[in-house]
Amino acid sequence: MMSDQQIIEGCARNERKAQQELYRRYSHFLLGVCLRYASDKAEAEDILQDSFLKIFFNIKDYSGTGSFIGWLRKIAVNTAITHYHKYLKFRYYVEIEEFVSVESGISSFEEDLFTSDELFRVLNELPAGYRMVFNLYAVEGYKHKEIARMLGIDTNTSKSQYSRAKAAIREKLEKLRKLKGNYPASNQ
Amino acid sequence: MKDKKEDKALRELFQDKLGKAEVIPSPSVSKALMRKLALRRFLHFNATSFNVWYAGGIVIAGSLVAVILSSDPGKNEQTKQAPVSTEFNTPLVNEAVKEETTKSSAGNDAEGETVYEAHRDKKSGAEITSDKGAAHIQDDQKKSTLTSVDIPDISEEGLIMEDKTGRNNLKVAVKQSDNLIAASVTEGCAPLKVIFKSIIPPQDSCRWTFGDGGYSTDRNTEWLYDIEGEYNVTLIVFTAGGNKISSSTDILVHPKPVARFEITPEDAILPHDEIIFMNYSTNAVKYKWDFGDGTMSELFEPRHVYSKYGDYNVQLIAFSEYGCTDSLVILNAFSGSAYSITFPNAFIPNPNGPSGGYYSPRSDESAFVFHPVYSGVAEYQLRIFSRLGILIFESNDINIGWDGYYKGALSEPGVYIWKVRGKYMSGEPFTKMGDVTLLKN
Repeated sequence: MMSDQQIIEGCARNERKAQQELYRRYSHFLLGVCLRYASDKAEAEDILQDSFLKIFFNIKDYSGTGSFIGWLRKIAVNTAITHYHKYLKFRYYVEIEEFVSVESGISSFEEDLFTSDELFRVLNELPAGYRMVFNLYAVEGYKHKEIARMLGIDTNTSKSQYSRAKAAIREKLEKLRKLKGNYPASNQ
Repeated sequence: MKDKKEDKALRELFQDKLGKAEVIPSPSVSKALMRKLALRRFLHFNATSFNVWYAGGIVIAGSLVAVILSSDPGKNEQTKQAPVSTEFNTPLVNEAVKEETTKSSAGNDAEGETVYEAHRDKKSGAEITSDKGAAHIQDDQKKSTLTSVDIPDISEEGLIMEDKTGRNNLKVAVKQSDNLIAASVTEGCAPLKVIFKSIIPPQDSCRWTFGDGGYSTDRNTEWLYDIEGEYNVTLIVFTAGGNKISSSTDILVHPKPVARFEITPEDAILPHDEIIFMNYSTNAVKYKWDFGDGTMSELFEPRHVYSKYGDYNVQLIAFSEYGCTDSLVILNAFSGSAYSITFPNAFIPNPNGPSGGYYSPRSDESAFVFHPVYSGVAEYQLRIFSRLGILIFESNDINIGWDGYYKGALSEPGVYIWKVRGKYMSGEPFTKMGDVTLLKN
């Protein structure tokens, strides 16, 4: 059993075995990251592939300080952003008017109400712009200012995209909840 | 407050559920990844990763080029004679290449030879296989028609072991042939639609490149050329036997002429004005005009007099030197009557004295004279009354308007009534009335 440190050193020497092990160990996690940024699994796998190419070619630059998994995740996120910019022209933009804001009154979500599969699908169905901002802010924990710089947009755009993304997500979750016949107590 | 709470709940939901979620990638991802990795390594040549594969590849490529150069005439003949339309699968050319290669590599240094022998050993089982990746490299690096390239097989060292399907050795030969393409037309006017059919056995696959950046992998296909030019269409057939046969044909697309014209004057008074048709057509050498009133012309810029207004459709057909045509029709060119007469509703007389009412658009820039804007007026009578109903001005000449003076004295500022009647050039009568405010300077 190789340690992460051994894997990193092996990858830096371009050893196939180390690369193999790195892929085996982290591809599942990284595909989870990529899938949050994609509209389907195929797109996520494209991003994953590019991420690994970057990881293998740049592993020499990993300083060893900070968590390795964090570094990997950062590369995947950056690759997703590159991918988003590259394919931006093929996407269409859905305006907020399509979403009716939902008065949900939800202040907490029951732990096991939604499966991660369902949440992935909610994200996959979002317009790409919303998905980027929501992921970066809500899940990755970047500040709007940082997101604005990463995506090349205005800080206020990031904020408004985020709130629109939230409205869209809430609506989808609400629909899901109703579909499951599980009404929140506060709605009765 | 509630908003913040909701926001936090939503963030926590996604962080908890998806922040560390794992998804299993399809097996194809790792294979594709390793293929890309190997290809990149191979293309990004550097000394530290120089290995036996490079040595072998270089030796074989080098010796092959030497073979082609040295045995040029005989080789070419052989290539041409090779049956192409019926027996694609016979690896005639490849056999020849193999033999030649063996012969010439015997003269190379020891290292190269051993490498090559190693290849041959493997090859004995699987004859020749073709691969898209290999074909790609080959296209990029070599332009000769007969080439062979070896690339390292990544499956051996790949992350996930691939089953050994005999892809150990990649060898591609391209053969030129001319009778595989049937095009519906080879010359025509833009936009030119060409239907291409390939005469190849059903088990072979193919790729068309249309010479303008477009391509297709359909066996029979069609392509639309909308820009003129000479295009070289190439069909590459990947035979089931692993051969690559290319065939090409030229498509000549003539420029399309553009028919353009304008009618002047824009608001012509018929039948008074002679109409000039300004011809702005391009790429054309011959013209046919139909004026829409039963008359025609073949002049470049004809002139025409219409006897009256009507819904004339004026058509121009422009012909290029290649017989390509374009046409432009202006519908209902002279339907709307251009006859009109309108009056302003205010004017400021010249305080320095009467002018007699003569005016022209140039002399009356300061609007000292009350007069109409008109076209196609044949008969005209203008009368102006004060509010008490007294006739203070009358003119039967459209070129004379009211200067604001009555009996030599400047009229009082205020509202005056005007009445006009007359006939247009078509004979149609008109009467209009309205008021005009005389302002003080």
